[in-house]
Formats: sequence, C-alpha cells, structure tokens
Amino acid sequence: MTPGNRIIQFSISKPRLITATMVLATVILGALMVNVHVDTDPENMLSRDEAVRIFHNQIKKEFTLYDMVVLGVVNEKNPNGVFNVETLARVAELTDFAETLSWPDPEDPDKIIGVVRRDIIAPGNVDDIRQAGPGQVRFEWLMPEPPATQEEALEIRDQAMANPMLKGTLVSEDGRALGLYLPITHKDLAHRIQKQLKEKIAGFSGEEEYHITGLPVAEDTFGVEMFVQMAVSAPLSMLAIFLLMLFFFRKLSLIISPMIIAMVSVICTMGLLIGTGNTVHIMSSMIPIFLMPVAVVDSIHILSEFHDQYQKTGDRRLTLEHVMAQLFRPMLYTSLTSAAGFASLALTPIPPVRVFGIFVAFGILLAWLLTITFIPAFIMMLQKESLASLGGRVKGGSSFLSRHLRWLGRVTISQAKPIIALSLAALVVAGYGISRIQINDNPVNWFAPNHPIRVADRVLNSHFGGTYEAFLVLEAVDEQETAVDAAQLLKQSISGLKPSTARQQEINAEAIGDVDRQAPLSATPDELFAALEEKWEKQLDMSSSDQGYDLWSNMLDVLETVRGRKQIFKQPALLSYMEGLQEHLLTTGIAGKSNSVVDIVKKVHQELYEGREEQFRVPDTAAGVAQSLISYQNSHKPDDLFHFVTPDYRKANIWVQLKSGDNKDMEEVVQAVEEYFIQQPPPIPVSHNWAGLTYLNVVWQDKMVSGMLKAFMGSFAVVFLMMTMLFRSPLWGIIAMVPLTLTIALIYGLVGLTGKDYDMPIAVLSALTLGLAVDFAIHFLQRSRMAYDKTGSWREAAKIMFEEPARAISRNVIVIAVGFTPLLAAPLLTYKTVGFFLAAIMAISGLATMIIIPALITLLEPRMFPRRTL
Amino acid sequence: MKKYILALGLLLFCGVLAWPPAGAAEIPDVEEIVDRANRVAYYAGEDFRASVRMVISDAQGRTRERQLIMLRRDVNDGGEQQFYLYFEKPADVRKMVFMVHKFLDRDDDRWLYLPALDLVKRIAGSDKRTSFVGSHFVYEDVSGRGIAEDNHELVEVTDSHFILKNTPKDPDNVEFSSYTMWIDRENFMPVKAEYYDKQDRKYRLMEALEVRSIQGHPTVVKSRASDLAGGGETVTEFNDIRYDLGLADSIFTERYLRRPPREVR
Repeated sequence: MTPGNRIIQFSISKPRLITATMVLATVILGALMVNVHVDTDPENMLSRDEAVRIFHNQIKKEFTLYDMVVLGVVNEKNPNGVFNVETLARVAELTDFAETLSWPDPEDPDKIIGVVRRDIIAPGNVDDIRQAGPGQVRFEWLMPEPPATQEEALEIRDQAMANPMLKGTLVSEDGRALGLYLPITHKDLAHRIQKQLKEKIAGFSGEEEYHITGLPVAEDTFGVEMFVQMAVSAPLSMLAIFLLMLFFFRKLSLIISPMIIAMVSVICTMGLLIGTGNTVHIMSSMIPIFLMPVAVVDSIHILSEFHDQYQKTGDRRLTLEHVMAQLFRPMLYTSLTSAAGFASLALTPIPPVRVFGIFVAFGILLAWLLTITFIPAFIMMLQKESLASLGGRVKGGSSFLSRHLRWLGRVTISQAKPIIALSLAALVVAGYGISRIQINDNPVNWFAPNHPIRVADRVLNSHFGGTYEAFLVLEAVDEQETAVDAAQLLKQSISGLKPSTARQQEINAEAIGDVDRQAPLSATPDELFAALEEKWEKQLDMSSSDQGYDLWSNMLDVLETVRGRKQIFKQPALLSYMEGLQEHLLTTGIAGKSNSVVDIVKKVHQELYEGREEQFRVPDTAAGVAQSLISYQNSHKPDDLFHFVTPDYRKANIWVQLKSGDNKDMEEVVQAVEEYFIQQPPPIPVSHNWAGLTYLNVVWQDKMVSGMLKAFMGSFAVVFLMMTMLFRSPLWGIIAMVPLTLTIALIYGLVGLTGKDYDMPIAVLSALTLGLAVDFAIHFLQRSRMAYDKTGSWREAAKIMFEEPARAISRNVIVIAVGFTPLLAAPLLTYKTVGFFLAAIMAISGLATMIIIPALITLLEPRMFPRRTL
Repeated sequence: MKKYILALGLLLFCGVLAWPPAGAAEIPDVEEIVDRANRVAYYAGEDFRASVRMVISDAQGRTRERQLIMLRRDVNDGGEQQFYLYFEKPADVRKMVFMVHKFLDRDDDRWLYLPALDLVKRIAGSDKRTSFVGSHFVYEDVSGRGIAEDNHELVEVTDSHFILKNTPKDPDNVEFSSYTMWIDRENFMPVKAEYYDKQDRKYRLMEALEVRSIQGHPTVVKSRASDLAGGGETVTEFNDIRYDLGLADSIFTERYLRRPPREVR
C-alpha cells in the first residue's frame, strides 16, 4: 500500500477523528491570535543590529532628531496666500492644538510621548533673528501671536522669507503654503496624531486646504489601513472563490471543504506566527492573501477529479481511492515545491521577509496535510443522497470549457513548432522588459494616487523644498597627534607673530620656552594646551602694563587657534566647503533644500551687520564663527544649533529635504554627494554617512533585491532537482520548469515594459510565482505519463489529458485568478498589485502548461517516452 | 513596649520644640516678601564682582563650559542696575563682552561686543526669556524678573520657607503659566523655583545649591537650572566674590566694551 493509500484509508475510516483533531488545533492556535502585536514600521525591514540602522538611531539621538509629521496649510485663493489675518490665526490655533498632542507613556507614566513641543517648527515656535531699529538685533519668535492686521501678516512673511532656515521649509517660496513640522517621539503615533489634527481641522471653516504627510504618517497609516484591508479583502476573495466553485461544482456541501481548509490553514498559520512571539508586520499581514490560493488549489484538483469520476462509479470510497491514487504524488510535489519557493525567502537578509517565507511554507504544508486527510473525511461524512446529483448535470462532453479544451489539445499537437517559436519570441520580449526593470519603492506610493496622503505629498512637495528627510552626517576623521606635534605647530604659530617691539620678542621667546618645557611633560596635546593656558593666563593676570596684557592675550589667541583646529565645524574653510556641497545638492532637482550649521552662521553674521546682503557669508575666522554661534544661542531655543552640529564641533548634520521619497531619487542624491566628494576633496578630512528614514528605505530595498534574487535562484535550483527526482528524468525536470520560467519571465517582463517599479510586493511575488506556476506542470506531466502508460501514444494520451486533467487546471486558473479580483478595488496599491499579478500568474502559467508542455511533448515524444517508441 | 513609649515621648518632645515655628507670629505681607527677596537676591551691596563658571549639560550628558567675570553696580537699590559680563571661556569667545543697563520702567539696554568681528552690537532688550549664552538660565535669571510683572500669592508657610505662587500679568509674553518659589524665611533668599507650562506641567526648575554669607550678604554661590521636559541642566558657580568695590559708573559704557576695565582682569 502506498503512503497515499494508507492515509486515505485512515481518513475514510475515521472521518470524525480527523475533523475533531483539526477543529481542536484550529481553536488552540486561533486562540493565540489574541496576543497579536502589530508592527507597521518599515524600519524593521532591517534587523536591529544592522549597521545603518544603528547609525541612524545614534544620529537621531546625537542631534536630537525626530521623525516628523508634516502639516501643510495652503491658501490658493487669497492674493497674499497664507499670509493673511485669518489663515495665520488658524495656523496659531493649530500650533497650540498640536502642542497638546502628547500624553504620558502608558508603559512608563513618567515619560511623555507624542508631539515634542519644543522642537515643533511653526511660526509661533521658531526663533527669528532680525533688525530691531538702528544697530540693534533682536531674537524674536517669528509669530509671537497671530497678526491683527494685513500689514503685520505681510511683515511675518517678509521676515520668514529673509531667513534661509525658514524659507522653503516653514514657508513656501510662493507664499501660498505654510508647513508645520511636528516632531514625534514614536513613529507609531503618527496615525493617531494625524487623526486628531484632522478632527481639529474639520472644525475650521475658511479658504485654506490642509494636507498631512511625512514618511511616518504614510508608514503608520499604511499599517492601519493594511489591517482594515485584510479584514475586507481576504473575506471578499474567499467569497469570490466560493461563488466560482459553486458555479463549477454546483454542490454547496462539497465546496465548503476547500473553504474550511483555507480558513483553517490561515488561522493555524497566523496563530502559530503570533503564538511564537512574532509581530504581525506589513509582510506577514499578507500571509492570508498568499496562503489562500495555494490552500485551495489542491482541493480543487481533488474535487474536480471526484466530481468527474463519481458518476462513473457512484461509490464514494472507490472514487476517493481512485482520485487519491491519481493525485497523491502530484499534490505532494506541488506542495513541496510551493513550500520550497517560500521557504527560500528565509535566505534573504530581511527579518520580516524571512518570517513571511517560513510561515507561508508552513501554511502550504499544513494545507496539503489537511487536503489529503480532511477532504476525504469530509466527503465520507456527507449524506450519501447529497452526492447523488453530483456531476450529473455538467456533462463533461458538452460544456463550453470542455469543447475549447479539446480544440486546444488538437492545436498543441498540430501546431507544436509555431507554439514553441512563439514562446521563444515571448521570452525574448520578456527579456527586453526585464532589462528595463526599474528598482524603486516609496512607502507613500503604496497608496492609490487619489489617497489623501498621496495628494498631500504632491501638493506639499510642489510648494516646499521637500517633505522627505535625509541626514548627511559629516564627521571628523581622527588623526593621531602627539603633544610633540602640537608643540611644533604652536611654536610655528608663535614665530609667525612678527615682533615689532623688544617686549614682544621677549614674550614670544618666553612662550616658546614654555612650550618646549611643557611638551615632554604632556601625554596628549590636550594636556599641553591646558598646561600652557593656565600658565599664560597667570601671565596675563600678572601683567602690570597694558602692553604685556595685550601680548599675553595674543598668545592665548594663538593657543586657541591651534587648539581650536579640532573643532572642525568652526573652521571657515570647511564651512565654505559645506556651503558648496549644499549648493551641489540642489542641482539634483530632488533635494529642494538643505539646512546646516552653515546657514545659521551666515544668517546670524548677516544680521549682525544690519542685515546687509553681502554679509550673508561665513566669517573669516574660526573665532568669528564661534562668536556668531554664541550670539545665536541667546535665542529662545539655543539648542536648535545642536540639531546641526555636536557640541564638540566634530560632527555636523546636513538636513536634506527631498521632494520625493522614491528610493531611486534618494540614490541619485547619494550619488551626487559621492561625486562631489571625489571631485572636490574637503579641506579637512571628514567622513560622510547618511541617516534618515528615506535613506534607510534605500538600504533595505537593496538588501531585498539582492536577497530575493539569491533566494529565487536557490529555490529555482531546488525545484528543478525535485522535478528531476519526481519524474526520475532531467529532461522531464527541465520540461516541468518551462511554464514556470516563462511565467516569471513574462511577469517581470511586463513589470519592466509597463514601467511599474520593482518594489517590495513585486519582489515577493517571485516566490509565489515559483510555487504556483510549477503546480500545473506537475499535475499535467504526471497525468500525461499515466495517460501515456495507458494508451501508448501521445496523440491518444493527449485526448485524455484535455478532458478531466485540463479541466481541473482551467478551473483552478479561473477560480484563483477571478477570486482575487476583489483586491483590485483595494485603496492600497500593494494589494492591487498582488491581486493583478496573482491573476496574471495563474493565467500565464495555466496556459503555458496546457499549450507549451503538450507542444514540447509532441516534439520530444521519442525522447520522453523512450521505451514505448522503440 | 517601653522602647516605643520612649520613642513616642521623644517624638512629642521634638514636636513641641518645633512648635510654634520661629517667627510664626509675624508673617509679612506677600508684597513685602517679594520685595525683600528681590533685594536679597539681586541688590546685595552697592556693587558686586564674581568669577562665574557655568557648566551646561545636555540631555545626553555632554557638557560645555562658560567662564566669565561679572560686574554689577546698583544705580539705585531695588531699581536701575548695570551689568558687565566679560567672557574668558570658551577660548574662542574670549574678550566677548555682554553689558546690560537694567531699567524697571522700560526695556533694558543690552550690548554685545564680538571681538573676532570687532563689532559692538545692540541687542533688543524687550524679551528677557531668551537663553543666556546657550545655558539653561534665561536673561531674567541673571538680572532678575521685575517684581511688578507677576501677581504674587503666598500659598504656604512652612517652618523654613515662604512658598509663593507667581502668575504673570501678561501671559502672552512668557512661556510659563506660573511659577512657584520657595523663599528662605531666615534671610529672604529665594532658593527654589518651579515653572509650569501652559498645560500646567512642571517643566523647569531653578535651585540655589549653596548659599554663603559673604561680607555679611547671603549669597548664592552655586545654583542650577534644570530643563525637566527636555533634559539637561546648567550649574553655575560663583567664585572670588566681592561686594562694594566702588565700581565706577564709567565702566558700564560702550567705551569699555572693546577694552576691558582693570576690574575684570
């Protein structure tokens, strides 16, 4: 007795035990689902210890940076744009409201989570440095309170426009839009904050439009909608599949079984996933959608066969034994190959994809086990009478489907060569398409084009420098310097002071003597500097004459200049270099703006000189920079400086605003920076690295693409080996791979040709294609071999093949392809994509199996069936 | 059992000693407390000189230093004052000078001398709630907040302190909604202030960490301002304190910005 037979005998004799076991397992695993922990953070696409992620978080901490919710207020109707009394009053009200959006952390009530008040960028919460009467500067909130008159409103506009830190960030250059940037402590609060802002805005009447965007909003909203989507789409798909099966088999009682199998597989898999402590991530939320078609495929094969056979025997037991004898091997292998396809994802370096792959693979094997045990058990439990009319009305001989399949069978034999030629041509076209594939992703584009987030994204990025942020971090490269080196440098600088008096000569000599004496006693340059400072300050204090005081004071200046070299981001040469780099960023057209310590220095310097335009520049000396910066720190928010530079002035952050969150655009900006550094090396050696969500997305995408390719190649090889084993022939193995290869080529060719971006869902689809597309080939080849054994010639065997086996494949194609069309109506593009490609995969692989394989067999008959043709 | 009775007895005895609190009979009027506290904290002596060292720590524990010489001269007690602040550290702002003429009836005059740019700049004195050179102290902490700017309420009198709640008369001009101040009953020195934001959350704390008597004046020699919301604090130490040096009026003029007077050397 074959293993298949043994299982079927057990199922047939103990149907209730099987059912009870299944129900129990489902209840237990299903109960685990209450512990669900949702994780919608794409950042988790990278493992926690991934270098770039650690760096990103370190940078966020070091520069006190937060993820931002961007709230745009646009007024296209007023001639003065947003700068009118009414709009600004609403902006002030919104800002006040946003300030209240923080709460005690439920896990740690001492901590406050939500909007970080002090770092809100809003007219009422940013400091402006401005002229306050002749020769006076003033640090003042840009909008301490909403203006009372139109003139005051325009004054606010002019002030903001004159501040490079604000123009293009807080206010659009056309004056029509204002952006409120709300930093948030946790990304997963973005949706909640957005909701509350929307409720507040709903209470406003006026001519303004409001838009909310920013990557955290997109990502968090996606997470929320994703779950809604799952709750809507998955049942809808189930319903569609159910209706189609009803149409094909006309037996309600019978077709309930595949639905049960799909449900049970999904519940058990998700239960196990949650029960084992995994979070439900964007990827794993798609498990039900991927699992359902695979889970019902085998059942449809059984039912299809049972349905067609039952009328011949009229006996359940005999029919089932016959069906399982026919289908056990192909079902085992199709399940194993599908599982292998998904399991291969475990090789990718992306944790959520790994989890996804492993659990789908588990679900597929579970569905297989259920199919071979539960379906027979289920059929045995049905009332005998309810099967009486089965298949009776659908005359296999006359249905629309049957007639066309027979015609198709004849064509594949008579037109075998043209079919192969055509397939090869299709492959060439697909190859061209694949060569044009554009790898790109953008979480905002996961929403349909008319989704409010997409609209906000378009509108705000047309007004502002960009709502996507990336951080370019420049850092001093450590150079080993000894106290002796430092002493040498000091002496050089002192010698550089041209002595004009005898007293000066004396003091210079004394200072050089001090350096020579101290250098051997000091372990590090810092020790040397500290010792000299103490000494010379004493000299300064003891100087009885003004001349002596001045000279020692100069000596301290020299000391400071030498010592201050370490504070590289006070050095004018490096700041000017950064200025050039920032200008270069703008030439990409993607980075709409960037902000850095250089912009602060230039603005302060300008205002110190009565706001004269030619003084909008980097000061000539490091001390000039330092004094401009300490002036800046006399503001309401002195720590704003440290978003851009660390207090030791060894590390600087250029906040780059991008108009697009597309990974390919981010990559272009990264490339532009690389080129700049190669063409113009910095005057002081600095390293440069990127952080920021937009950049993180690029990193995980790269890993995803290369990881997926590797996983795909691996599983392709594994499936080929399995096919060769199954059919005990490499030639058969190769033929089994043909429909799959063509399907994948055409699917990705289509992606390339239509210009659709190769993004996360598309990448994951390759695993699904691999799993599904080979199924039909296995069934078809296995049955062909059986038919050939019976008939002894392919011409005759083909006639059998284009009856029941072809019908089973066609039914499968139609059920699954059509079953997933509800996904096309989803507001999330990822779901649309999955729906469309599932249908395409089923259609192409089904057709390829039924057209190309028979054509190939026709041409290769002597080699494929060697003994018979002898 | 005996032990407990003894302990109880001791406790009662101590309680009796502490009761009634010293001087409880005569609690001054709230305006008087405020006025005396103001004079003690900001107007001690005729003039004042100190070497001031500030250590600014941020939420991440990174520190920065400021060192300066502070001169103060009272034009009239409880009223107009002059300040001259000469920076010694960080070294790249050495010789920078900040000068203030404080008035009660109008905005202060403030000057900043930036030696590297050789620039004397007037700074508008209308807003005194801005940071003092990047520290957690604001200008008002250095020169004193006008006592007429708040409504004062004596909320509690403890054994050692008067506790006052101060509510700004013009709330739009300041970032706090109120602050509570602890004033030492003994010498009327304000020793602690807690600031509440517009959502009534405590976000800022000022403390006198050490008070010493110098030339007969109770003097805060170490104080701290803490940012409770964002983290970070500034500790200020006053050294080489001297009162009544007889500082000349002329020191506090633009002439001495570029060329520091002997008194700061």
